[in-house]
Amino acid sequence: MSESDGKKPTGDASAVKPPVAPPAPGGRPAPKHPGFVTVTVDGKELVAKPGANMVDAVRQVGADIPYYCYHPRLSIAANCRMCLVEVSNSPKLVPACQTPMAEGMVIQTRSQRVQESQRAVMEFLLLNHPVDCSICDQAGECKLQDYYQRHDFRPSRLEGEKVMRAKRKVLGPTVVLDQERCILCTRCVRFMTEVAKEPQLGVFGRGSAELIDTFPGKPLDSNYSGNTVDICPVGALLNRDFRFRARAWFLSAAPSVCTGCSRGCSIFVDYMGQDTYRYRPRENEAINKSWMCDQGRLSYKSVNQLRVGAAMLGRGEDRREATVAEALKSVVEQFKALAGTEGLAVLASPVASNEDLLATLAFARDALGVRSVYVGGRPEGTGDHYLMTPDKNPNRRGLEWVARSLDLTLKPFSELGKAINAGTVKALYAVGGEVPVDPSLVSVGFARLEYLVLQASNESAITAQAHVLLPAAVHVEDEGTFTNLDGITQRFRRAYPPRGDIKPHWAWAVALAQEFGFPWMHGNARDVFREWGVKVAELASFDWDGAAPPVKVTRGINPLATGADGRPPGYREFGAPRVRGI
Amino acid sequence: MAHADERQTEELPAEEDSELEAHLLTRRMMINLGPSHPAMHGTVRMRVELEGETIVSADPEIGFLHRGFQKSCENVTWNQCLPYTDRLNYVSAIMNNLGFLKAVEALVGLEIPERAQYIRVLSSELHRMHDHLTCVGAIGLELGGFSAFLYAIEARELIMDRVSELTGARLTTTFGRVGGLNRDLPEGWIDRVTRTLDKIHELLGEVDGLLTNNRIFVDRMRGTGIITAQDALDFGFTGPCLRANGINYDVRKARPYWVYDRMDFDVPLGQNGDNYDRYLMRMEELKQSEKIVRQAMRELPGGPIIVDDWRIALPPKAEVYGTIEGVISHFKLVMEGVPVPPGEVYDCTEAANGELGWYLVSDGSGRPYKVHVRAPGFAILSGVPRMIEGKMLADLIPTFDTINMIGGEVEQ
Repeated sequence: MSESDGKKPTGDASAVKPPVAPPAPGGRPAPKHPGFVTVTVDGKELVAKPGANMVDAVRQVGADIPYYCYHPRLSIAANCRMCLVEVSNSPKLVPACQTPMAEGMVIQTRSQRVQESQRAVMEFLLLNHPVDCSICDQAGECKLQDYYQRHDFRPSRLEGEKVMRAKRKVLGPTVVLDQERCILCTRCVRFMTEVAKEPQLGVFGRGSAELIDTFPGKPLDSNYSGNTVDICPVGALLNRDFRFRARAWFLSAAPSVCTGCSRGCSIFVDYMGQDTYRYRPRENEAINKSWMCDQGRLSYKSVNQLRVGAAMLGRGEDRREATVAEALKSVVEQFKALAGTEGLAVLASPVASNEDLLATLAFARDALGVRSVYVGGRPEGTGDHYLMTPDKNPNRRGLEWVARSLDLTLKPFSELGKAINAGTVKALYAVGGEVPVDPSLVSVGFARLEYLVLQASNESAITAQAHVLLPAAVHVEDEGTFTNLDGITQRFRRAYPPRGDIKPHWAWAVALAQEFGFPWMHGNARDVFREWGVKVAELASFDWDGAAPPVKVTRGINPLATGADGRPPGYREFGAPRVRGI
Repeated sequence: MAHADERQTEELPAEEDSELEAHLLTRRMMINLGPSHPAMHGTVRMRVELEGETIVSADPEIGFLHRGFQKSCENVTWNQCLPYTDRLNYVSAIMNNLGFLKAVEALVGLEIPERAQYIRVLSSELHRMHDHLTCVGAIGLELGGFSAFLYAIEARELIMDRVSELTGARLTTTFGRVGGLNRDLPEGWIDRVTRTLDKIHELLGEVDGLLTNNRIFVDRMRGTGIITAQDALDFGFTGPCLRANGINYDVRKARPYWVYDRMDFDVPLGQNGDNYDRYLMRMEELKQSEKIVRQAMRELPGGPIIVDDWRIALPPKAEVYGTIEGVISHFKLVMEGVPVPPGEVYDCTEAANGELGWYLVSDGSGRPYKVHVRAPGFAILSGVPRMIEGKMLADLIPTFDTINMIGGEVEQ
């Protein structure tokens, strides 16, 4: 690059210094737009806020500066050299991520010099990179691939051997490191230090021996270690749970909400066919910034595993699979006799969405004639210093709001146990199979119930006690809203339709109400919100449609676009999608 | 059919002069030519309304071969569209392949290597001969001259052998890639093609002797299926069917592409726009194409067959397996496709039946945003009712032959 610098240093140290802007009377040039910095980017005028980062700011005028180490939520390292650009007040190329924009500065992001520098940087980064794309999980979402194709696209000039390093170094319970693939951008190190505040990663060695590693004897066991995988621009840090399970380009993403705790981090659900493969954090300034915890990240498993697949009638040896119509008929026969009596109670889970709770509790009030609802939900867990909260239920606040608007009092779960033991509660309508104490203990209590109707999504000791078990959808299979512990209500979108007879809680409530003779015609979660949601004081001004996050389609790499009717790519009426390469 | 009955009563002779004349009660007859009829090349249905043997109206009905080609292209990468283009005019698949590639290259703004240009001209002209031989043979066959058909098909078979040596397939060639070609000429191929052309020349002489001055053939062809030059232009005729009217429009001359401007060939022109002239166009173009093929083989330069740009062309296999640069480029090209810049283009080539045009829109991803093909056969088929209405039913068959409708191209 030195020859392209034009002026060679003449030996005088002062000659190396960047020429200062022409001394105007009064020092700095007067800002063209007072209160802003005005610069020229590739011939276009850019008016930016003072202190804006150049990499982000130039996007306003359509320029695209490539970068690896820069991350808007981390400190600036400026070590990858990919974002070098030409600026008018420096003879040398400067890293865009680190250079403050000065009034009147002329920035070139696509000049010959810049392109040559980008090509050279790519060549250096790929010099010791292993030939791994075909076995690398990052392939398809790898910035090395993207930038090589955009900025380098030339053959290798390497003569001799590549530097070999540890190929699969397990750093902790969540993360595995391939040191050969690492480009030493130090995003992960900075994340652990600055965001997770658990400095468990470091840079060791110098030169060709430089590498990322954990400190001796200390694993990377932070609850936020999974984020290092997300921010790793290459395939060096990989999630041990997701590794080798799916190729990135076969997955589609639906914007959703994590249900692992009451924080309600915004996420993308990555799915293929009717299976969820991983959660990824989705940017949300108000809640989770760009991050999520590892426990939440792994909570996707309950979406796939031990699902209740069909309606069941009978308990113990009498249990048999039933059609939906049969199950509904049997429930309504019993409930009609029990409605309004002391012996019938309702249990609601704060894992269900607002729409689920609105419809089921409205049904409980109007059809079953109850005045109070027992609160189920997952047991209290531990929180941590950042995002994870001790309350593992995503919608407790929503349940409180919904119950209040329907004039239902909420009673703790322990009172339900007492009431069952005392024999006052003989029948139970349970929305959600989650209970705050050990399910095997609860099942002993529930065994005393004379009639238990349970809408549950996952099998447990509780579901074994149900006289009627109705298969319920989980959040990724329907749309709706959750209200997190701070009272922030978020919309989530449907990733894929549920299998077989599985229905969302609200749909079961509507079907039961129709069987009762109520003229309920709600066809989707939106209808439910329109009917009861607007009557909840806190949700009255919530724009259900407007709050829906946009669907992001990664065009060009998915085998087929998502169907216009919401079917996932490659979805067929029967069976799993026939996608090559799984 | 109520309306037919009404017409029948209208045409009943008036009372006063009917007494001594035994009028035959006639009625129009609606017949279906096709869709499954050997003379209806491909699967097209012609609803023909007859009065006696005179055609009152003819309505070509397409749709039996529709396969959503243009929409399917939006789901695949640019290079993956090629197998779909094979199935347009499947008698000259290479011309569709290369025409599509030329349009994509125009959108990218790409100049392909000279050798690739020569091979594209060469293989296109071979397939033009293939197409014309089929057309000429079928005309003979459907007018009852089976021998001419056998000679033409023998010649066509020789071209198919050469094409399968070149592309690996007899029919679905999928030849070429964006930026050039996917494979070079096989060893000894030029000699084999030279010998093949000699043999075809001989066979063509036989066909010529059997048909061109054959009284029965000429009587069936001359003066039938006439279309005026103005009508031909208005219907959007291109290719031999337009030139049979004496209108000199050939994309190879009007907007020379590849190395056609270096080729020494003439564009034959007709006068009458009838079936016989369209037949003669094909016979003469066969000779001109042979000339082009021989010249291209003579002048064929060495050098690369595809551009040396890893954003466009797949890297050599050794680079893919051995270097990270190669594997990344291969991965990106296969999974995401050639990054064609956003924009739109109309580009055309002279295919066997006329101007094969492509309107392509790219949104910058690796797949087409929109593909539209202007198939020459579609415009020509739409002119058939004009050519045949008021004529005899028997003239429909040679007319349908000489316009050389190919179902796969008319219906996409």
